[in-house]
Amino acid sequence: MGSRRFRMLALTSRQLDSAVDDLATGLSSWRLSHFLAWQDVKQRYRRSTLGPIWTTLSFGIQIFTMGFLSAFLFGAELSKSLPYVCAGMLLWALITQILNDGAGLFVASSRYITQIKCPLTVFLLQTIWRNLIIAGHNVIIYVVIALFFIVVPSVSILLLPLGLLLVVICLSPMALVLGIVSARYRDVPLIVTNIITLLFWLTPLMYFPEQLGKKRFIADYNPFTHIIALVREPLLGGTATLNDWLVVLAITVVGWVGAFLFFARFRSRIVYWL
Amino acid sequence: MLSIIGKDVHVQFPIYDPRMRSLKYSLGLKHLTKGLGRISTKGWNVGGQIGAGETGRIVVKALDGVSFEISEGDRVALLGHNGSGKTTLLRTLAGIYEPSSGTIQASGRVFPLFDLQLGMDLDATGIENIWMRGKMLGLTTSEIKNSLDDIADFTELAEYLYMPIRAYSTGMALRLAFAISTAVTPEILVLDEMISAGDAAFISRADARLKEFLARTGILVIASHSMPMVRRWCNKGMLLEQGKILAHGPLEDVVSVYEAKIAAERQLTQAV
Repeated sequence: MGSRRFRMLALTSRQLDSAVDDLATGLSSWRLSHFLAWQDVKQRYRRSTLGPIWTTLSFGIQIFTMGFLSAFLFGAELSKSLPYVCAGMLLWALITQILNDGAGLFVASSRYITQIKCPLTVFLLQTIWRNLIIAGHNVIIYVVIALFFIVVPSVSILLLPLGLLLVVICLSPMALVLGIVSARYRDVPLIVTNIITLLFWLTPLMYFPEQLGKKRFIADYNPFTHIIALVREPLLGGTATLNDWLVVLAITVVGWVGAFLFFARFRSRIVYWL
Repeated sequence: MLSIIGKDVHVQFPIYDPRMRSLKYSLGLKHLTKGLGRISTKGWNVGGQIGAGETGRIVVKALDGVSFEISEGDRVALLGHNGSGKTTLLRTLAGIYEPSSGTIQASGRVFPLFDLQLGMDLDATGIENIWMRGKMLGLTTSEIKNSLDDIADFTELAEYLYMPIRAYSTGMALRLAFAISTAVTPEILVLDEMISAGDAAFISRADARLKEFLARTGILVIASHSMPMVRRWCNKGMLLEQGKILAHGPLEDVVSVYEAKIAAERQLTQAV
């Protein structure tokens, strides 16, 4: 049994080379991913008057409900809680979509993967792009709320693009690994959906971390708290702490090393699982 | 100089059906494969051999150690029964399946054309579909722009090109797919059955375009069951059975082996 387990994990230099090659060609053909992502979004617009705006509308309704509820339950002022909830949920929606879509990544593209030779990275990038475009639609709601309550961003807003970039780079390896595992074990996407629902309650989205009192560690040890802070804080006129940056950076590095090795080991098997 | 060289290529498909796996443990793999082996020796062997893979899992040996050399100008017809490994070999040539052992080296870009309508969207217009399909085929923006007129002329779809292809007849959609796919210049073309543009009224123009398309192609590898088609387009043959190459060489030699096999099988089934 021991030797078999060892063989499962053994990586040849050829596998590493092909994985590097897949990532490199996938990244260099970003135009294709970009194109495919827009096609996905366009498809949602077709034969529907509002298209993805429907998502934005339901996002808006959710935000208002949560914002009022948060103000009512946790005694925060509406002018504080509504922008806070909105900025947090803007990112949370992006995170959950990337992870959920990530779990269906290769299965959803199986028609392409079994018909043409194409770097698998292309489909990862497509998922990321598509969800960034859709999240872009939701920004409308934030702009409306921020204008209404006159939320003034500070200079730290300049760090926002960098924060968003890091968040996306941090989420990519998670989506990649979920995509690979889900191709082999089809129960995984359902497990992911469940875990995300659980994480929603454990992440300070509707409440502030301080309101957890002595149980604040729940938020502090939750990586998603820090991931969200990188984008939410600058939006609200504050700054993400150095701690937030370091935590996300560490998750990103560890995530990518792990995901890369995992990808290198199983990349060529994925097509056989589809 | 274009070429494809395969050395001892093995491709195995793992079977993940849980019942199969528990069968393996309860009945023992040997018992299972022995039974199958006996059945298949009665006639012509169908499908790849079923056996144990490296990790002890049940696998179908779709390609079982094939070696070959295909050079520029070759028009290779892959012949063989259903499940003999033709499609697997095509997909391995295209780089879609990576061999579990052995190597395939292709000098030149392999261009697989299995599903003419891959990447097309029913709700998008003809023009949009030309873009999508073109991108899927790996064409650059300027290449697509340059072939737009040519495709539009050939398909004669005129104002229909600005309508969603949902409004097209099957023949019209196929005509469009055919026109886009044949707009490229492939180095190594890999086909599963000959592509066609359907429409009877359209056939002579489609035929001319196909001829031109294949003439531009450096190497052609095509799987087919149609002898007239094979005789028309191919100069080499490769006969597969149970994932092994039985014959590879000049077309007529391989075709005669293939036809002798079919005749023998027919006799056998008639005797039974």
